[in-house]
Amino acid sequence: MSLFAGGYAGQILYVNLTDGSIKKKPLERDFALHYIGGRGFSSRILWDELSPGIDPLSPDNIVILAAGPLNGTPTPSASRLIVAAKSPMTGALGDASSGGYFAPELKYAGFDAIVFKGRSPEPVYLWVEDGRAELRPAKRLWGQKIHETSALLKEEIGDEDIHICAIGPGGENLVRYACVVTDEEGVNGRCGIGAVMGSKNLKAIAVRGSQDIRIADPKRFKEGIDAYRETLSGEVWTDVLRKLGTPNLVEHRQKLGIWGAKNFQRATIEGWENISGETFREKFLLKVMGCMGCMVRCRRYSAIKEGPLAPTYTKGPEYDTINALGAKPYITDPAIILRAHHLCDEYGIDEQTAGSSIAMAMELYERGILKKDQVDGVELAFGNGEALLHFIEKIPFRKGFGGLLAEGTKVMGQRLNADYYAIHVKGLEVDASDPRSLPTRALTYSVATRGSCHLRGFPYIDEFIKPEEAEAFFGTSSVSDLKALEGKGKMVAWSENWITLANLMGLCLFAWYRSRSFPMLIKRGLDLVNEIYVATTGLPMTSEELFRCGERVYNVEKRFNLREGFGRESDYPPQRFFQEEMPDGPGKGSKLKREEYDQLLDEYYEARGWDRKTGEPSQEKLRSLELQ
Amino acid sequence: MCAFHHHQVGNPRRGRIKVIPLGKGEDIPVTCLNCEDPPCMNICPTGALHRPDAEGMVKVKGDTCIGCAMCVNVCPVGAVTIDPVDGVASKCDLCEGDPQCVAYCPAKVLKQTDAGQMARHRMKGFARFLQTGGEDT
Repeated sequence: MSLFAGGYAGQILYVNLTDGSIKKKPLERDFALHYIGGRGFSSRILWDELSPGIDPLSPDNIVILAAGPLNGTPTPSASRLIVAAKSPMTGALGDASSGGYFAPELKYAGFDAIVFKGRSPEPVYLWVEDGRAELRPAKRLWGQKIHETSALLKEEIGDEDIHICAIGPGGENLVRYACVVTDEEGVNGRCGIGAVMGSKNLKAIAVRGSQDIRIADPKRFKEGIDAYRETLSGEVWTDVLRKLGTPNLVEHRQKLGIWGAKNFQRATIEGWENISGETFREKFLLKVMGCMGCMVRCRRYSAIKEGPLAPTYTKGPEYDTINALGAKPYITDPAIILRAHHLCDEYGIDEQTAGSSIAMAMELYERGILKKDQVDGVELAFGNGEALLHFIEKIPFRKGFGGLLAEGTKVMGQRLNADYYAIHVKGLEVDASDPRSLPTRALTYSVATRGSCHLRGFPYIDEFIKPEEAEAFFGTSSVSDLKALEGKGKMVAWSENWITLANLMGLCLFAWYRSRSFPMLIKRGLDLVNEIYVATTGLPMTSEELFRCGERVYNVEKRFNLREGFGRESDYPPQRFFQEEMPDGPGKGSKLKREEYDQLLDEYYEARGWDRKTGEPSQEKLRSLELQ
Repeated sequence: MCAFHHHQVGNPRRGRIKVIPLGKGEDIPVTCLNCEDPPCMNICPTGALHRPDAEGMVKVKGDTCIGCAMCVNVCPVGAVTIDPVDGVASKCDLCEGDPQCVAYCPAKVLKQTDAGQMARHRMKGFARFLQTGGEDT
């Protein structure tokens, strides 16, 4: 039974894969109060347990699965799981998140987190049930795709209701960007944590739990979640997500002209209507789904019922799917995008990096840097959907040219002497929109602690904050001006700390942000969540202190990366964004200017209390965050 | 929400309504049908399953139930389970007339209705079918 009055399961499971030993350690109260859960737990454990410079694919790396304190309670949209390790993509801190049912189930089984160390001599999976855990042989599962792995595990355990985290052939074959898939549908996509699992011979984790997650103050808790639900039900963003899912952003990207299409050689897409949220809804949507307890319900379940790619049943697509497997390789056939997405999930590879790598190869092929005989005789031109599907089948097994594509764009750039065409930051591909016309977006994507990421900060505040609010909160009204630079470094730093809180609690970002008013962001994303946290756990916490936890975690991550040698130079966007103007669309002619970006970065470091030259947090900052 | 309402905890395995995934995106919620002649109550050896109100739901007296699971065996739809924490029979009681699953259903697909209303609803659908001669239904 947990020592906590509520929220936490109260134990962390440590699994040594080398010798097969399993230990349970109590979750310390102080650790919980300083790091809250989820990404807070994983980042701090990575900082504490890893020696600098280790090879991410060696037994020295660790893999962490972490839930948050609100997972397993009826808080809306509290379904997110964090998986983390030192990333084989970047060599920096790596983590990825997924929704679904796994994180709550882990808590019901009695654990807030699992830490895997070492390397098993044989393929294994971990079976966790109500406070017990054991490693079991996984030879039968090795080589299986995600759905097959799940089916075999459910058959072996004799229960269809278990929840599973697994890797596919991509992870087994150490595709550098292999992902971890929960319950066949939730993809912990980025940073290659699946490859780290594969390097450890760890095929899957299966969980079943029937223990209570207690609520310290049920009455106060119910009032808290009712108020939280109310903020969500009044959101335009909630309604849009339910109707179209994240593909609603396709139209938005097209109108703003910020696609990174053709490996960032085009900002708009001809025939974009073929891959819009509406098209996917009309032609392929079977059902709108949701993760545990979610009232946003953005998840899609789609089917290709006719044509050469039928039958294909898959969850998705997401906006990111359409970006990576549509825009980047310039494919506007929605069935091909959906099929490619399904294959990536089934083989357990991150569709973001897969799409980016193939798009980069397409550009190199069109430029003559890659010759036809180097790419297995395939006509690797932009828009060739068959080529996309062909290589997605090769990458997981590292067959032919798929072997190089399996490394991601950074390594491809090094091996082919074509760094310039590798559009990444710290080794992770730019997964969001083209930021050349909006430098604040470039800053957000570039300073993110897991490599390029559009989910680590929330620069979109500048789209809706009122001048007087900006003045009062950030000290300058220019934060409300989309094009202005002043105050934006401060705003990005604030938004990172604030977004981190969702990752600590186990809450989905779609129940977190996109409010059309800045005060609502604070109310929902800080005050109400703190209220629910206190009611759930019975622990003493205030909004200010909670916010400081977000900042603390971000600083731990920064220090992890500094320890691995990622200094100021690693916080810059790819060269292409400085050198080439956007070729088309409303942002035509825009490119990033070095001095403007320097100014943003200076202000960001200043706001964070980090040294401008080195990025090192000041002693004062460390003291204030109790990190000394 | 069900487990929270009845036990003030998070634990869906204590919930009295279950959503059964059938694959390919189909998920069907299942709970007690409130049978007119309830096998669970009839077979209960201790009288723990009882119907206090002739019109109402079959309820469980937790302190009388011996956890024998006979009710689980005879329920035609599997709506009676053994609570994993208390070890006694557990089934839907419609939350004293205000079912919380309905109140909190995020997709708003769960509704509380009675057989008479349901029949009327179906009849209306059928009447429309007759009106259009089977076209445009």
